[in-house]
Amino acid sequence: MSLVEDAARSTAYRRVKSMFFRALTLLALAFVLGPALWLLIGVAVKAVPHWSWSVLTSVPSGNGGGLENAILGTLVIMVGVLVLAGTLGVLAGVFLAEFVSINAKGKERGVVLRTAIDVLAGFPSIVLGYVGYVALCVGLHWGFSLLAALIILSLMVVPYITKATETALRQVPTAYREGAEALGMRTGYGLRKVVLRAALPGVVTGLLIALSITVGETAPLLYTAGITNDLPNWQLIHHPIGYLTYYVWTDWNQPMASLHYISYDASLILLVMVLSLLIVSRVIVARTQRHSESVR
Amino acid sequence: MDETRSSTTPGSLDPVLARLDPDRGRPAQVLETVGLNLAFGSKTVISGVNIGFQRGTITALIGPTGSGKSTFLRTLNRMNDKVYSFRHEGEVLLDAESIWSPRQDLLSLRRRVGMLFQRPNPFPMSIRDNVVAGVKAHGIARGKQLDVVAETRLREVGLWDAVKDRLHDSPYRLSGGQQQLLCLARALAVGPEVLLLDEPTSALDPLSTEAVEAMLRQMTPALTLIVVTHNLGQARRLSDQTMFFYDGRLVEHGPTAQLFDAPREATTQRYVHGLIG
Ligand SMILES: Nc1ncnc2c1ncn2[C@@H]1O[C@H](COP(=O)(O)OP(=O)(O)O)[C@@H](O)[C@H]1O
Ligand SMILES: [Mg+2]
Repeated sequence: MSLVEDAARSTAYRRVKSMFFRALTLLALAFVLGPALWLLIGVAVKAVPHWSWSVLTSVPSGNGGGLENAILGTLVIMVGVLVLAGTLGVLAGVFLAEFVSINAKGKERGVVLRTAIDVLAGFPSIVLGYVGYVALCVGLHWGFSLLAALIILSLMVVPYITKATETALRQVPTAYREGAEALGMRTGYGLRKVVLRAALPGVVTGLLIALSITVGETAPLLYTAGITNDLPNWQLIHHPIGYLTYYVWTDWNQPMASLHYISYDASLILLVMVLSLLIVSRVIVARTQRHSESVR
Repeated sequence: MDETRSSTTPGSLDPVLARLDPDRGRPAQVLETVGLNLAFGSKTVISGVNIGFQRGTITALIGPTGSGKSTFLRTLNRMNDKVYSFRHEGEVLLDAESIWSPRQDLLSLRRRVGMLFQRPNPFPMSIRDNVVAGVKAHGIARGKQLDVVAETRLREVGLWDAVKDRLHDSPYRLSGGQQQLLCLARALAVGPEVLLLDEPTSALDPLSTEAVEAMLRQMTPALTLIVVTHNLGQARRLSDQTMFFYDGRLVEHGPTAQLFDAPREATTQRYVHGLIG
């Protein structure tokens, strides 16, 4: 067999292989995109024909009303989780990536924190919700409350933020760190001004996932936030709070068509919120990464 | 090949100029190592180095890969201190004071002893922000002053005309050589006395290398440069003094011309003639 034949054969083989893998990727894309589009279009088709803007400005009443309490409640919960879980998660990620080193005895530190976070990530959300109910709502006499919901949701999403932050920081080239050190920057200063800036897309992605999970949760909220038709006030405890996922589920299980419409409206608003989160995070990343190595 | 530069010692200056010399009254050796041993864990990398670096001169460190040049260089601004297995014995004196003395502040040590790396490492921020990154960190200048600092330093490294219209662009769109000059400007901006350079041109093409070398030559005698290089031609063109490391020992050091043309040690002779390396 000549070399030329050999080469021709291997070219043909490579071409077939490449086509095969291309087909596989397209299939995978279809598997992800299909259900997402189906969901989006399905909800929009059901919600839009009966859409009334008053949904945004009125609270539930009888067999109709609006979702203002739930929209505001979900937004408040989102902001709260962003602050609480965002701070905790990013700090834990920074700690694990930057300050956990091999100690003098050659053992890695931070094992406890890392294990705790892994365990937390494995907890079913309904179990966390129940723990919150027993410990916070009943144990501490907080009743159904915003704070209990924030704490439980934050515990739930902190692992995602921590992992994303740690991974992103570990991927920052040593050259940035050493450059910062060699200029005489304090460790924390170099971390903030140089290293975290480079890691930002990863951190933002982690926050985005965390918030998307937050927006979509129901079970832990049923246990901790309760439900109310009142608009959110600034009370952290002794006061339940409304959220959209509650209405998606309960109103759909009611016999009245008017409540089914509300259920679809709540779904649509949730989807819009998640999409907005996605867009906002992309904008933030694009804005801050204008000077990154990957964007030339 | 260019002839080697003659070294400028304070004594050779005009006496009037000598009195104006801002460095008068300070030790002639800006940096000095005394019985320096360096090791990672149980592996000794450098042993028994006694050497002084004359203020305002360029010293080249040459030697085969793994001979401990980088380790030696990175010790001088304490970049190795954070490596957990790193151990040092002996002393490094900066202006006759130990760099490990408790009175020495690590951050100001690094401001006084700057560093340029093998691969250009601009930060992920605009060109202008890169130049002033260190200046901001040390609070040396702020607000409008920063623009002045940026322009001055960019002019100093000959980059101003190339970047003046895109100060707010990404530094990664610059060529490799320009990026290295930008890093040089960034290092110069904090006003170092000594600059450590670890193979600063080995990632660059010949033209960029020439540009960087030209810049470095202009920086003495205001600055003291210590340059690790793989490129023997560069050592010859650039430096006043050359130190030859082999297998963790400082085999020979002396004026560059002498070390290359009339080395005392057989190992040096073989290395500069390309027989080992
Ligand atoms: N962080 C480190 N940990 C352990 N050994 C190291 C470390 N850095 C360098 N060494 C070792 O020190 C020796 C000298 O390396 P280096 O100073 O980089 O040499 P050069 O710059 O002359 O090529 C090498 O054997 C290298 O493996
Ligand atoms: Mg080296």
